[in-house]
Amino acid sequence: MPKDGGIGASTKRREDVRFLTGAGRYTADIDLRGQAYVQFLRSDVAHGRINKIDTSAAEAMPGVLAVFTGEDFTGMGGNPAGWLIQSRNGETMKEPKRPVLAHGKVRHVGDAYAAVVAETPEQARDAVEAIISDITELPAIVDMAQAVADKTNRVHDEIADNVVFDWGWIEDNRAAVDAAFKTAPHVTTLELTNNRLSPNAMEPRASIGDYDAGTGDYKLYTTSQNPHLHRLLIAAFVMGIPENKLTVIAPDVGGGFGSKIYHYGEEAVVLAAAKKLNRPVKWVATRSEAFVSDAHGRDHVTKIQLATDMQGNMLALRTETLANVGAYLSNFSTATPTFLHGTLMAGPYKTPLVYVNVKAVFTNTAPVDAYRGAGRPEATYSIERVVDKAARELGIDPFEMRRRNFIKPDQYPYTTPVGLVYDTGNYDATLNKLVEMVDMKAFETRRAASAKAGKLRGIGLSTWIEACGIAPSNLVGVLGSRVGLFDAATVRVNATGNISVMVGAHSHGQSHETVFAQIVSDKLGIPASSIDIVHGDTSKIPFGMGSYGSRSLAVCGTAMVKAVDKIIAKGKKIAAHMLEASEGDIVFEDGSFKVTGTDKAKTFGEIAFSAYVPHNYPLETLEPGLEETAFYDPSNFTYPAGAYACEAEVDPETGKVTICNFWAADDFGNIMNPMVVEGQVHGGVAQGIGQALLEHAVYDANGQLQTGSYMDYAMPRADDVPFYESDFSCITPCTHNPLGVKGCGEAGAIGSPPAVVNAVIDALQRGGHKNVIHIDMPLSPSRVWAAINA
Amino acid sequence: MTKVTMTVNGRKMSGDVESRTLLAQFLRETLDLTGTHIGCDTSQCGACVVHVNGAAVKSCTAFAVDLDGAEVRTVEGMANADGSLGVIQQAFQDHHGLQCGFCTPGMVMSTAALLKENPKPTEAEIRHYLEGNICRCTGYHNIVKAVLAASGQDVSAVAAE
Amino acid sequence: MQLSDQRQIKAAPAVVWAAILDPEVLKACVPGCESMTGSPADGFEAVVVQKVGPVKARFTGLVHLSDIVEGKSLTISGEGKGGPAGFAKGGAKVTFTPEGDGTLLAYEVEANVGGKLAQLGSRLIDGFAKKMADDFFERFQQTIEGPAEPEPEPEGDAPEGEAKKGWLKRIIG
Repeated sequence: MPKDGGIGASTKRREDVRFLTGAGRYTADIDLRGQAYVQFLRSDVAHGRINKIDTSAAEAMPGVLAVFTGEDFTGMGGNPAGWLIQSRNGETMKEPKRPVLAHGKVRHVGDAYAAVVAETPEQARDAVEAIISDITELPAIVDMAQAVADKTNRVHDEIADNVVFDWGWIEDNRAAVDAAFKTAPHVTTLELTNNRLSPNAMEPRASIGDYDAGTGDYKLYTTSQNPHLHRLLIAAFVMGIPENKLTVIAPDVGGGFGSKIYHYGEEAVVLAAAKKLNRPVKWVATRSEAFVSDAHGRDHVTKIQLATDMQGNMLALRTETLANVGAYLSNFSTATPTFLHGTLMAGPYKTPLVYVNVKAVFTNTAPVDAYRGAGRPEATYSIERVVDKAARELGIDPFEMRRRNFIKPDQYPYTTPVGLVYDTGNYDATLNKLVEMVDMKAFETRRAASAKAGKLRGIGLSTWIEACGIAPSNLVGVLGSRVGLFDAATVRVNATGNISVMVGAHSHGQSHETVFAQIVSDKLGIPASSIDIVHGDTSKIPFGMGSYGSRSLAVCGTAMVKAVDKIIAKGKKIAAHMLEASEGDIVFEDGSFKVTGTDKAKTFGEIAFSAYVPHNYPLETLEPGLEETAFYDPSNFTYPAGAYACEAEVDPETGKVTICNFWAADDFGNIMNPMVVEGQVHGGVAQGIGQALLEHAVYDANGQLQTGSYMDYAMPRADDVPFYESDFSCITPCTHNPLGVKGCGEAGAIGSPPAVVNAVIDALQRGGHKNVIHIDMPLSPSRVWAAINA
Repeated sequence: MTKVTMTVNGRKMSGDVESRTLLAQFLRETLDLTGTHIGCDTSQCGACVVHVNGAAVKSCTAFAVDLDGAEVRTVEGMANADGSLGVIQQAFQDHHGLQCGFCTPGMVMSTAALLKENPKPTEAEIRHYLEGNICRCTGYHNIVKAVLAASGQDVSAVAAE
Repeated sequence: MQLSDQRQIKAAPAVVWAAILDPEVLKACVPGCESMTGSPADGFEAVVVQKVGPVKARFTGLVHLSDIVEGKSLTISGEGKGGPAGFAKGGAKVTFTPEGDGTLLAYEVEANVGGKLAQLGSRLIDGFAKKMADDFFERFQQTIEGPAEPEPEPEGDAPEGEAKKGWLKRIIG
């Protein structure tokens, strides 16, 4: 049983109270004295050459304080890609400069190329509309295949084929993989699209720049998942502000899902404007701006082939993918289709030979980057769709097909052919749990009832794995990362015994304030109510890398546990001094430091007080204070895995798909707060269902975003989804972090899309539509109807 | 500029507004009631739902100037008199019906409006009613569960934990 | 989007041809047109007010005629900037074929929008462009032929009757 309020308890969230009473403090809620407002002029053409921007009328408008164009930022650096990828031919990826404001050319609808600062947002907007720009429209490059084939139209003039890189993973294995295909008894081929998505955190991006002319200090309030990463990017790459003269604060943040990892040009503009005007400058995006300027997700076109024997044993797998990066390289955009995608292509299977080829392509569309799951949903979707198709072709039960190929529990650590070492897992266990949850006999009854009503019911399966806890600096360094991916935490025990824990992770829905406090409470025997989790302010927290890639608990949580261990070790030293005992005889139990075998003890509070009132300390051997920092860099990724099933009903008259049931059986390692974990699974699954059935960021041939509002971009709503059933009782603890945790934030979004699509295909197949073997996401009524009636 | 006076969460409050000032802006910028959130610009997301004269309204669709004399209730006015969480707020916390908190004020206000007109809604009725409130975090499961609980219905059969 | 349609006009190709080159006719036929000045050779400057779904804007822009094959075919293209609403551009390839006493007027229309118009109104654009084209050619036809179903002219109300006669009748008598 979990300790009350400690590890494993479904402790209610402390952050909820402020969110439920309207007392949350998001960036848009913050007003600084004397602040001015900036609005951006964004391109309404997808591709154009900027001939002239006449700002004179705008400058003369009421309330206008300053007007900026790309020209004003040519002295600054580019916003960099965080990962350097090598092409198969050994060439380094193409990396054109991404300016603060577009300069010379505009490259996508929504590309900001001028900005106006005024006394009020309305004045700034009016003045933006008064800017006269002479832009020669150029042919838009939208389709990836055309972008690669067309040598004359170029998103970046210096890149002839619009290709960022042509990456092979692992190139040395290619010949062996191809050879296996030549002799394979059966080959299943599938061409599919992983649809482009708009992340749509409910809080639009916002930033406030502030500058102190007296000290030369900058402050940026911004919607960030990782304030230190933002500070590093702005300081070291873009603006050249000394890192110690810039504070980045990410207060309450209304969801991120990847889109708020990245540094965007608007942040540099508010800082530059704040300095120029010597007053704070605020920007709050509208949803319309968010649609055209936030980094999008996914957008892969893939051909996948699976070679098997006639019993369904997987012999080899190969893929060719075109990955859209949009008009510029966003910070993680080169990692997402490569090392977060290619390395996952073995899935949970023991396929001995795997080869992945990815060409990343520039187009005149918004940048594409990591979105919940980032690369791993794309990998999982490709694998789980082709496995399902292969099972159908071979006449093997899809559950059995997967079981037959699973890596087995006695095979860990398991080295995959795509460069990862899975430390632990038990894929049969989660699949067995899923089968138990689904109850196939009951499904048959429900299917018969649907059939009576003229509906087609089917069930779809997906067994997924991911590499997360995004870290190992040594590993990601080898893979091309330009940053380290450790994390850090400082535990400060105050003199009165309460505790502030400063963490590098950032909570924007993940519940760190509650769950991290549970862990520290559990370790120190201090009530969680005496423990505060501090995050989101670079002037308070140690240098950590923030929250994405299901890393907060596995990486930052571990740093926190290690800092707590240091606190206990220091406490023992203090206790030994106070109790006149040898340090080796001190044990820490139930919140007290005791001399083993005696009744001599000091409470945690007494130790804390003594640390700050060190009247008789042996100062040469015992420092005052009780505060410890730990940086933690793991030795490997973590590998959560699970089995999902979706039961869907198709109305053949309309093509409408209804999700009837969704089951998730996951192995996340040890669970810190089941309520929170379940909530993460729900949210991820809903986003996966959204991708599978509803969501699609569509550009027309001219590069205009057709789905630029909630009227056209179909977000999952309450009546689009069912109650989900989630289980995470199958546990193989992570072997390389002390909490044994793996990460659960992205799981739902990774595992669910193929389960949904497999369910729809199953429904159609069972319903006699044998010709329907694939429908590209989103499975809208029109697409499903068209497939049925093809 | 026109002076408008409204009774907001039981207190009379006034401010000068332009004819184009939306109720959402008036609440946030003039009255500093930033619990009402703006999540879109097409009246779709529902983060800005408040009650005007007892009815749920997307405050981005109403002009402040039209609401002189109106009774307005926002999420800031939903707690009990002693400051403790109201029944709906408590149900959202108990059932983890929020994560990032951004859509939450609108969800709470829409729920209050729903329960006023339909004190014991079914799951389907709740899902249908909340169709105009978008949440990106929770997948709606725990929101629907929280609304059922807030209406006094047994939710022990809904999912584990 | 692209669409094509055709309609039968009760006037000789030469008459129809002359009409389409007349800025007054164009002005009368472009829905929402506030002004139209210029000439076939230099192009026309136009101001058009239109509402697409939630976005209403006054577009200022140029209309020009190209690919002119005297009396047989031409392309009308226009591009209007609607300020913060974005832009709209489009063209119609029009052919004039004699058919009996009249003219078969066939057109292929292409329309594109950008900016807020595209972002918020894209799902409406196809229908909107079709309606614009239909309205244009309907008005064009009426301008030439007079109202399709001429109402009985009230006696002693000559000026109105004159106006209803249509462009063709006005120029030929």
